[in-house]
Amino acid sequence: MQLLIDNVSKRYGANTWALQRFSLELRPGVLGLLGPNGAGKTTLMSILATITRATEGRVTWNGADLATNPDALRTVLGYLPQDFGVYPNLNAVEFLEYLAAVKGLDAASARRRIDELLDLVNLTDVRTRPLGGYSGGMKQRVGIAQALLNDPQLLIVDEPTAGLDPEERVRFRNLLSELSGERIVILSTHIVSDVEATATDIALISKGTLVAHASPEELLRQVEGRVWEWTIPSTELIAAKQKYLISSTTRRSDGVHARVLTSDAPPRAVPALPNLEDAYLYCLSTHRTGAAA
Amino acid sequence: MNSAHVLHRMVQADFLERARRYSFLLTLAGALYLGYGVATEKVWVVIGNGYRGVYNSAWIGAVMAVCCSTFLSLVGFYVVKNSVQCDTETRVGQILAATPMRKSFYAVAKMVSNFAVLASMVIVLMLAAVAMQLLHAEIKQVSIWKLWAPFLLIALPAMAITAALAVLFEMLPLLNGGVGNVVYFFVWTLGLAGSIQLGATEPTGIQLLFRSTRSALLKIDPNNKDSFSLTIGGTRAVRTFLWNGFDWTAPIVLSRVMWMYVAVGIALLASLFFHRFDPASELWRKKKRAELVIAPANGEMPQRPSTGSRSVQTAQLTPLAATRNSRFLQLVLCELRLMLKGQRWWWYAGAAGLLIGTLVSPSADAREGCLIAAWFWPILIWSQMGAREARYATQSLIFSSPRALPRQLPAIWMAGVLVAALAGAGAGVRLLMSDDWHGLLGWIAGALFIPSLALALGVWSGRSKAFEALYTVWWYIGPLHHTAGWDFMGTTPASSSSMAYILAAAALLATAYIGRRVRLGYA
Repeated sequence: MQLLIDNVSKRYGANTWALQRFSLELRPGVLGLLGPNGAGKTTLMSILATITRATEGRVTWNGADLATNPDALRTVLGYLPQDFGVYPNLNAVEFLEYLAAVKGLDAASARRRIDELLDLVNLTDVRTRPLGGYSGGMKQRVGIAQALLNDPQLLIVDEPTAGLDPEERVRFRNLLSELSGERIVILSTHIVSDVEATATDIALISKGTLVAHASPEELLRQVEGRVWEWTIPSTELIAAKQKYLISSTTRRSDGVHARVLTSDAPPRAVPALPNLEDAYLYCLSTHRTGAAA
Repeated sequence: MNSAHVLHRMVQADFLERARRYSFLLTLAGALYLGYGVATEKVWVVIGNGYRGVYNSAWIGAVMAVCCSTFLSLVGFYVVKNSVQCDTETRVGQILAATPMRKSFYAVAKMVSNFAVLASMVIVLMLAAVAMQLLHAEIKQVSIWKLWAPFLLIALPAMAITAALAVLFEMLPLLNGGVGNVVYFFVWTLGLAGSIQLGATEPTGIQLLFRSTRSALLKIDPNNKDSFSLTIGGTRAVRTFLWNGFDWTAPIVLSRVMWMYVAVGIALLASLFFHRFDPASELWRKKKRAELVIAPANGEMPQRPSTGSRSVQTAQLTPLAATRNSRFLQLVLCELRLMLKGQRWWWYAGAAGLLIGTLVSPSADAREGCLIAAWFWPILIWSQMGAREARYATQSLIFSSPRALPRQLPAIWMAGVLVAALAGAGAGVRLLMSDDWHGLLGWIAGALFIPSLALALGVWSGRSKAFEALYTVWWYIGPLHHTAGWDFMGTTPASSSSMAYILAAAALLATAYIGRRVRLGYA
């Protein structure tokens, strides 16, 4: 099982490049795709989900080129887009039955699958209510269910936890981890904690290009010895932000506790254990500095 | 910030948003063609005993302005009836609702922005009128006032009324959707017919032109009869007379300006029905329809209590069978359910009544009338074909499925044909029983043509409005008024175009396929 993204670029209009020479080879596991807003994550997801074509480069699924044979992937694809709608007059069962028919699943096995999925996403009690009355989080769970309808080998989820309450978010993270064993899962998000909890690999994307592709451990190693906890008076915070890259701040009775990302320790700062958010910010900052230079 | 500035910014944003759409350009092209038709005598006015005016500035300006106020008041309505809907869909409305803006101000602002869109078309036509006169007129000497005054005093007030009616229809709960699109056509038709009663003050300016030209004609032909027709393809004028334009007296000018105030009044009336983007108004309707338990403050529906162990439950999914077949029929039935789900009881009662009417009516005329009505009844079901995916943003879910194009599109079409066949089943059975093969061919042509037209328009426009407007007009001209060649149901004895409509259905289906193919990244 292999998804190969080979030098893929996507241009909108005359000269707006959403993706540029993006390459990645994926095998079973959860890939966390991280990047700031407008980085090109959703464009990449759309290309991988066969919604839009790449302007340049190619994507292959187990050797089959998606440009000429998109159905090679579509039969084993589960896709949860960032923005999607539902038919308000249908209930959850009817909507999933409809999408099962569109995906070519037979009615009997689809019905059994739908029952299980609705239970999995905690919608069994409201299964017969029209979707028009669902909240945003509930619609998102219907979206998660439809992505799993055809037992996908490639599961692409774009900002899947948006609108979910904390409990449902934890459930979904666990679900992703469990599903990843024999399939490729691509989790696109800007919520670092979602990636931290589930991803076996991380790809950082910025301005349409791949900044880094590594395991979480490898990314964390890059910032080892560069994260400091620094307690300063709140009046000095603005000056500190101008001088250092600060990943977070917490106000306490003794002042502001700032996490600083730098090779040279600020005065009186103490070393801190790096987390993925530190690594993410450090990589993006290094990339921007490099690009500017 | 003062109101004028807010109004200016709102109108500007609305105008730019809509002027950059293809529908605006298409309508503008249509309006220009209409103007070209006036100047080249493809559209003409015949007065009294076969008279028309000599093509000078006054005549070209007046006829083009009257064409604007009649035809553009129909098409233009469908172009601009989306400003409130746009604010709802983009959720800009919720941001506006949280500002101190009053409902009346919003309604008037929407009316003004609708007017700006329609007026821009009129202005383009005014400029085109100069070119038309220079290129095609019998008297090429241009008098700007005589050419442009009818646009300013006849067409613009009519556009203001159209703009205001669009706001009213959008704000009235029952008319803001497809029903309103259908109803407007009949309002427009009745309005044109009824405007005769209003005399010279009616909004389209037809009566004004009629009365002014009649006075001029009586001077040269005292036996001239009282008649006036604005024609596309009717009887041509056989003689000409020189008409030097309207006498714009103060009462006439005031009566035209009065329509601008009436338009503002209609917009203010509309504001009384405006929901101010309150989601409760939408939820109320859904609750009525489905007896929903509406969510409490956080918007969540009641759920069963969660437990800690449940929150980390493992995924227990039965593996699917290895083989997957096409299941096309299953997909057709799902599309059919999607079309019919959500219809109210009275819709089914009406459809059943018409079905029974076509089956048991002893009179052929009554059966025919029932069929004509039966194939109008599901208009709002057909109008969703091909547009539903865009309307409900389900494209990415559906188009990432295997063989989405060759399976789903034909399935929608088949479901649409089934709706037509079911709605007109009574007539079909009667035709079959009476061995009326010619009639049956017409019935088949209708059952195939209607969903094909709906699908093609839905796919290409991405909206239901195009079919709702075009089908209503076509149905009114063709089947209802038995205009030969336009009757796609084959109910006009003189019409023998069933095969042509079957071929047209095939062409439209192919057009829909191409349209969907163009929009998809992949086949």
